[in-house]
Parts: sequence; C-alpha cells; structure tokens
Amino acid sequence: MQTTHPGPSREPISLSFPRIIPRPKSEYGIWSWISTVDHKRIGTLYAVTSFFWFLVGGIEALLMRVQLSQADSTLIDPEMFNQLFTMHGTTMVFLVVMPLSAAFFNWLIPLQIGARDVAFPRLNALSFWIFLFGSLFLNFSWLIGDAPNGGWFGYAPNSHVAFNPTNGMNFWVIGLNILGVASIAAGLNFIVTILNMRAPGMSLTKMPVFTWMTFVTSVLIVLALPVLTVALIQLQVDRLYGTHFYNTAAGGDPVLWQHVFWLFGHPEVYILILPAMGIVSEILPVFSRKPLFGYSFLVFAGVAIGFMGWFVWSHHMFTVGLGPAANSAFAISTMAIAIPTGIKIFNWIGTMWGGSIRFSTAMLFAISFIAMFTIGGLSGVMHASVPSDAQQQDTYFVVAHFHYVLFGGAIMAIFGGIYFWWPKTTGYMLSEKLGIINWLIMLIGFNLQFAPQHWLGLDGMPRRIFTYAENMGWENTNMIASAGGFLMAFSVLLFMINVVYSARKRVPAGDDPWDGRTLEWSISSPPPHYNFEKIPNVEHRDDFWFTKHPELIAEYYHDEHSGELTAPSGAQFDDDVAEEEDEHSEEHHGDDEHGHGGIHLPDMSYYPIILAAGLTIVGAGLMTAVPVIVIGTIVLLWGLLGWSFEPVNDPVPDSH
Amino acid sequence: MAAATGTYEIKNEHGEVINTSTGLSNKKLLMWSFLGSDVMFFGSFIATYLVYRNRSLVGPYPADILDIPITSVSTFVLLMSSLAMVLALSYIQQGRQKMGTFWIFSVVVLGAIFLLFQVYEFNHFGQVGLTPRTNLFGTTFFILTGLHGAHVTLGVLWLIFLGFGSIKGSLRADNAIDLEIAGLYWHFVDIVWIVIFTVIYLISARDVGPPG
Amino acid sequence: MSNFWNKLLYHEGRGWWDLPRTQWQDPNPQMEGPFGHGIAPIKRTWEIITAANYHHGTPWFYVLIGAILSIITIVEVWAFTWETLGGLLIPLMLVLSLAKFILVVGFFMHLKFDRKYYAWIFTACMIIGIGIFVALLLLLEYGNQTQQ
Ligand code: HEM
Ligand SMILES: [Cu+2]
Repeated sequence: MQTTHPGPSREPISLSFPRIIPRPKSEYGIWSWISTVDHKRIGTLYAVTSFFWFLVGGIEALLMRVQLSQADSTLIDPEMFNQLFTMHGTTMVFLVVMPLSAAFFNWLIPLQIGARDVAFPRLNALSFWIFLFGSLFLNFSWLIGDAPNGGWFGYAPNSHVAFNPTNGMNFWVIGLNILGVASIAAGLNFIVTILNMRAPGMSLTKMPVFTWMTFVTSVLIVLALPVLTVALIQLQVDRLYGTHFYNTAAGGDPVLWQHVFWLFGHPEVYILILPAMGIVSEILPVFSRKPLFGYSFLVFAGVAIGFMGWFVWSHHMFTVGLGPAANSAFAISTMAIAIPTGIKIFNWIGTMWGGSIRFSTAMLFAISFIAMFTIGGLSGVMHASVPSDAQQQDTYFVVAHFHYVLFGGAIMAIFGGIYFWWPKTTGYMLSEKLGIINWLIMLIGFNLQFAPQHWLGLDGMPRRIFTYAENMGWENTNMIASAGGFLMAFSVLLFMINVVYSARKRVPAGDDPWDGRTLEWSISSPPPHYNFEKIPNVEHRDDFWFTKHPELIAEYYHDEHSGELTAPSGAQFDDDVAEEEDEHSEEHHGDDEHGHGGIHLPDMSYYPIILAAGLTIVGAGLMTAVPVIVIGTIVLLWGLLGWSFEPVNDPVPDSH
Repeated sequence: MAAATGTYEIKNEHGEVINTSTGLSNKKLLMWSFLGSDVMFFGSFIATYLVYRNRSLVGPYPADILDIPITSVSTFVLLMSSLAMVLALSYIQQGRQKMGTFWIFSVVVLGAIFLLFQVYEFNHFGQVGLTPRTNLFGTTFFILTGLHGAHVTLGVLWLIFLGFGSIKGSLRADNAIDLEIAGLYWHFVDIVWIVIFTVIYLISARDVGPPG
Repeated sequence: MSNFWNKLLYHEGRGWWDLPRTQWQDPNPQMEGPFGHGIAPIKRTWEIITAANYHHGTPWFYVLIGAILSIITIVEVWAFTWETLGGLLIPLMLVLSLAKFILVVGFFMHLKFDRKYYAWIFTACMIIGIGIFVALLLLLEYGNQTQQ
C-alpha cells in the first residue's frame, strides 16, 4: 500500500505486534530461504523437497520389486509389504507429482503471464511450509515402525480401528489433511494469480497452454481436495473418537467411503496429469518450430476434461454392485472423457506434423509422453467397459494402466519440463548427451517394468499381494519387471549425475537457448528478483516468438490486420467479457513502475513457517495429547496474528 | 490491515481496483474461490447426513430429540447477524466509523449468542443420551453442526479483530474490502446454516427409526 | 414485424423486464415497453431503495431483505407444524430455503450488484457440487433398494 493512490487516503495507522525475531532482510543464507516469499525460490524449495520424496518413494517401489521378483519370497513380510505399497502410492501422488507440478506452477506462472510474483506471496510460502511439514509428518510414521497400511485409497472399514488398530492410518489421515490445506491454499493462490495478474494485453485466449492447464488444475484442486478432507475427517473422528461414519456394526456404509474417496480420486488423477499436458504443450511447439496446432481445441479439451472428470468416479467401483443402470451411465461417461483426451493427442501430433523437429532431450521426453500416455489411455478405455473391468479390477492390469498414465505420462512430462526449463532457472545447460542416455534408459526401463504387467493382470495376478506361488507361471514376467524397475532407478541416478556434472561445467545458457515462445524466455536466466524490469505488453499468442520473428505473423494470423475485431452481435449484453477485453491497457500496471526503483516486491516474512509449524503441531496433538494441541494452537495464533499485523513492506525511511 | 493478505491493490478514486487484469480485487476473488471450495466441504457432509438419514440402528432418533422452536430462534439470530454484517459494511464504506463499529460488534454478539445456543443444545442432547458415539444420527449431526460452529467461531474471532481495527481507525472506508471479505465469509456461514436448518431440522425432525 | 418485437421486448438491447441495474455509472435507461411510462415511478422508487449512488443497497433496503428473510423463516416453522402437508413438506421447505439462500447470496453478498465474475465462480461451484452430490444420493438410494 505504499503506492500513491489518489483516493481519500490517510497514512495507514499501524497496529503492531511484538516481534521476537527481527524481520529478515538479507538475500543470502538460510534465513533468506526460510522467510522467502519469492515465487522462484519457493518453486525451487518445492522441487528439491518433492525430488527427495521421489527418491524415497522409488526406494519403496524397488523393495517391493525385489520381493516380487521371485515366487514365495520371504524377504518382506506381508505387513511390511502393505506399508510399502501404501506409502509408495501416497508418496508418489501427494508428495511427488502434485508438488513437482506445484514447483512448475511457482516457477513459471508469474513468468509466463508477465507478473512480478503471485497474487499472495506469503500465502504461497505458507503452502510450501505446510506441504513440507505435512510430508515429514506422514513419513515420520516410518521411524516409529508403524507406517500407514491401508492402500492409497484407504478403503474403510479396512482402515477402521476395528481392523487396523495401530497408529499407521492415523498418520495417513492427519498427514493427508495437513497436505490438503497446503494444496487448497496453493490452488486458490494460482486461480487469483492467473485471473488477475496477467500482463496488459494477455487475454485469456492468449495465455500459454501451460498457464491454462494450471488454471484448470487449480480449480480442480480447490474443489476436489475438500471432498478428500471430509472423508479424512470422518475417518479420523471414527478412529480417534469412536464415532460411526464407517463403523459397519453401527450401520456405517463402506460403499460411502468408496464414493467419497473416488469423488475426490478421479478429479485428482486429472490434477496429476493436466500440468503434465501443459508442460508438453509448451515443449512440442518450441522444438517443432511452429505454433501449437489447434490452441483453442487444446484449451477447450482441457477445460472439458476438468468438467467431465467430476462425473466418472464410479468407474473405480464397477465391481461393487451399483446396479446395471449406474454402471452403464458411468461406463458411458468414462468413455466420453477419452474424447477430449484424444483431441489433445491429435493436437500434439498435429503440432509436430510438418515442423522441423529438433530432437533435444526435452523433446524426446515430450514425444514419449504422448506415446506412453496413449497406451495408458487405451487400457483406461478398456476398463471403462464394465464386463472387461470385472476381469481387470484389482489385478496388475490396472497397475499397468495407471503407471502408464502416471509415470509414462506425468513423470515423463515433468522430466521433459526439467530439461526444458533448467537453463532458465539456473542459467546453465544440462548436458544433452547424458540427458539423451537418461531418457533412453528411462523409457526402456519403464516399458520393461510395466508392459509385462498387462499380461500378468490378464493372467489373473492380483495387485497388492506380497507374494505368489511358484506354479502360477508369473515368475519370469515378474523378474523382467523388476529388472526394468532397476533400470528406471539407474536412469534417475543418471539424471542426478547430470545435474552435478552440469553444475560443475556450467555451460552458460543465455536468455533463450531453445528459441522459446513464451514470456519467460524474454528475460535473463536466471531471472532477476523482480522478473520483468518493465511489464511486457502482449499482442499475440506466443508473443515473444513473434517479436523475434515478425515476418511469421502474417503466416499464422491471416486475419490479423483485416480490420477491427468484430464482436458477434449480442456481445454488448455481456458487459463483463467486453470490459475484460478492452480494459487491458498499460495504465493498469501503475504508472510509477517505469524504472527499477518503482518496483514493489513484498518483504520477507517468517510468519508463514510459524503458522505451518503450528498447524502441524495441532495435527500431531490430535494423535497424542491435548497439551500438544494447546501448544500448537498457541504457535498457530502467534503466526496468524504476527502475519495479520505485519505490513507487506516495512516502511522505508524516506530517501527519494 | 491491508497487510493481512499481503497483496498489492491500487485503487482509483471510485474505490475500484485498477491494477489487476480483470479489475477485480485479488482478495475478493480469493474469498469467492474459497467459498466455492467450502461449498464442496459442507456439501460432502450434508450428503453424508442425507445418506445416513433413517439408518441409525438405535435411538434416540431425530423425532425424540430435535427441538424446532429453540433452533428457530437461533436461526433467526444468525440471520439477523447477517443483516448486521451488511449494515456494518455499508457504514464503514460510507466512512461512518462509529456506526460501522457498532454493527460489527453487533455481529460479534449475535454470533456469540448463536454459539451459546449451540453449546446449550449439545449439552442438552448429551444429557438426553445422544452423543456422537450413540448412533449414525448422532455422528452425522454432531460433526456437521460442530464444524459449522467452528466456522462461526472463526468468523467471530475475525470480526473481533476487525472491530478493534475499526475502533483504532485502521479499518476504514478505503480498505473496507477487508471487512467485505470477512462479511462474505460470514454470510456464507449463514447460508450453510440455512441449508442445515432445513435439512436436519425441518425436513428430518419427524424421522424415527429405520423403516425395516 | 421483428421491429415490433424489438420494441416490445428490448430497449437499446436490454429487455424491459431486466431488473434495473444498480451500478452508479449506468445511464438511467428510459422506460418504454408494454407498460409505457407507467412503470417509471415504481422503478425510481426501487432505485432509490437499492442504488442510491453506491455499488450496494441502502441500509433500509438491507433491513427490508432481513425482514423478508425473517418472514420466510417464520413461514417455514409454521408450515412445519402443519400436519396436513404430508409429502409436500420437503419440496416446500426446499423452495423456501432456496429463496432465503438466493436473497442472502444476491443481496447480502452483493452478487446482484457486483461484477458478474463472482456470480459465475460461485454458480459454477454450486453446479458441480449439487450435480455430484445429487448423483451420489441417487446412487446410494438406488444401491440400497436393490439390496433389499
Ligand atoms: C483415457 C482416459 C482414462 C480412462 C478411460 C481411465 C479409466 C480408468 C478406470 C476405468 C479405472 C478403474 C480400473 C479398476 O480399478 O478396475 C482406472 C484406474 C486408475 N486410473 Fe485411469 N483412466 C484414464 C486416464 C487416467 C489418467 C490420465 C490417470 C492419471 C494421471 C489415471 C489414473 C488412474 C489410477 C491411479 C487408477 C487406479 C486407482 C486405484 O485403483 O488405485 N487414469 N482408470
Ligand atoms: Cu478414474
């Protein structure tokens, strides 16, 4: 509020709250990370943390693969195996793919829309710290030897105290609730950021596809996570206070849990995949050297997926016995959702069609995303058919399906994104040679691991069994799968080697190493603290690319200069839309921001981390004792009050 | 108080936000999106209540225990608190600080009365033998209304905070948006109660045990 | 002919039946349409109550809404004691609480006065929410019946 506003303004009367630690100012050192509100640093924190959990989840997976590589293996006992697959799934979904996507959101959204930060920088920091503490809380269960063991969907009443008396599922329930708060806060923040912080001229239809997909994802997060929260609260009060939501003895309905979980669960899988689709939609046009094919179809398909994704959840429950009418309805809606997915795939292929393609590592990852995701989508459509799902439900076929969409889809795209944006975020290149080897081994390992699981599943091997008998004929296939798993682990190791190696060599990247299209490539690498010295003015989709290649404008925008944009008749009713289109003028971005000196960035704050710590302590208190809850509440209030009284910027001693 | 959410908003002389792409206030957009999220939250709980309606295996059932007259009064109190809220905002926006402060604290008092009613009701039910552990009705009833009560409590605390801001003069016409978003939250909590009152009290107050 | 309908239904692209818009920047549209100028005084009164040069209603307008809300609540409680209502009770209650809901959201939360964006956001969330939860209830009801 330092900016001069013409309105009836008086000097703000400052209420103050005593500080225990002075507000950090330095840009270096550990404090600068703890109290940062810079979206780029928060993005880095997200990336590092979730990569760490990626390794942890990977190790859990490898342990299971070792166990399954032979028949009648006794390396891991059944209880341990339950904990491993539960934590593997939970980790990969909530601690890896979601936050890795969040790392991309944080790094890229403000850069792509030409903003200096997100709409609520401190809220953004809060999201990260809650995520960090929540993930530590969840994994703390390993240390007391009591990890969650009810599967990533925690079906009640199996997860109920009566059948699951140890503390594991309590960690799961409370940990996921803490993580849910983080996701919702981040989702809200990005909705507002994308709607409100766009550079002048960047109307919704000129936004990069990645920004669009982030928007859809954020909406899904904001609407779907509360449903999970409710399910978890219900299970939590059941487990801790003896209520009856899922107590079958008192009439509780196990099917209700499945409904509520999958009401969240299916939108969740789109939360996992839409950012990946956005990343791929950014990589493909750059390396095909032509604009995205069918931008509006891609965007529309993304929005359609986001909407239809709400009405398919019961395809996870075909074998529950919902009755033929319900099953048919959900089979139809599930098959229908493959249509927008297919549209996207055709658009990506259309983008490459006729382009002069450069096969960089990022591009290779993006292309293999398309291929692998298509395979996963096809098996998805197979179990959208009720009778065939009766065969496939709870077998390795489903495991193969969701690994093709999640690893072959989401993770492949994320690796592509890492190779693509690494030079922008660090200022130097990752080695392409190592990168291509990394990609090749990952692709081979992945297919070795998961393709055979289709056969295993159709052959009747159930998922989530800790071992199988010798005479089932599954040994060789499982052995191959395990070998594939280790190849994948090796490829991840190669990636880490690549990071270290490139950090040593430091081949400078320059601002725009790939001939990029979106605004982030127009600023230096790594971007300065304030991102854009002057907020850009956007005229076209892919504005930066057309600034570099003005001769191509006519080729791609035939009707560009053929006169005024004609609004369809009737448009005048729709004043909001009209206003939105023409209100983008420079004046919006404050006239006092010309020079560097006028740029306002929020000061650092340590209250987010305190608030997050308080929340987590309260969570821990729910499992242990009331005094802990009290302590947690005090910390939480400290964070909240301090935050509320803290000005965004400390008043600067007047120097200009 | 503008500090509370840490977002930059520049306004023109009509009090409209001018530095955002849509011309909408960041904070208000955040609040509306959050309310959308809360729709799903309460929606899930209300759906759970309806699913379990008439499925309790043992009593007491709603017909034995729900007291419509008392709850009607507390419903009325909450409705009036919404009215007070909108008046408070209206006065703060006009710069009539004293009236604004008065109405903010009226909201606080009415909200607190509503909470007292709830405490009384919970206590009373406990004495008559309905707790969250008694049956499905008890479970769904207490958790749903309890979480609503938690929302109300949070709103009351928030408004006390803003009320003191208004006394001190840190909440006033040019940052009335801070009161406005608190108001949106408050009204939302009110409409959730409108739905709860209808669904739990008016519609199912005659429910007895399961049909079978 | 089409001109006739235009005259009847629209005035400068806006139907005469559209509630007066309350934002102060709006020019005061002249009243035409089937009731001619007869409606103008009513409209002006309405504007005095609602618009009054603000983006929001006047205090008296809010008190009026509050009164309507209370009356609906009283009707609800009164109808509840009405034994003869039978199966009509539930639909009646739903309609009445829907009316309260709309009044609060529209006027207390200013959706009627505010930029339409907010209304879209909230309506979209309500549509998804109501859609899936009604579907859920139908599914579970149906499942229950087939079990018995
Ligand atoms: C073409 C689109 C898709 C269709 C038609 C589809 C269909 C299905 C169906 C019917 C199931 C239930 C199988 C069963 O349990 O018997 C399923 C499971 C699953 N799908 Fe998909 N799917 C699609 C895309 C995706 C995507 C994009 C993701 C995630 C990124 C995904 C992730 C999952 C997961 C994680 C499961 C297993 C959940 C579990 O049981 O643990 N699917 N899919
Ligand atoms: Cu699904």
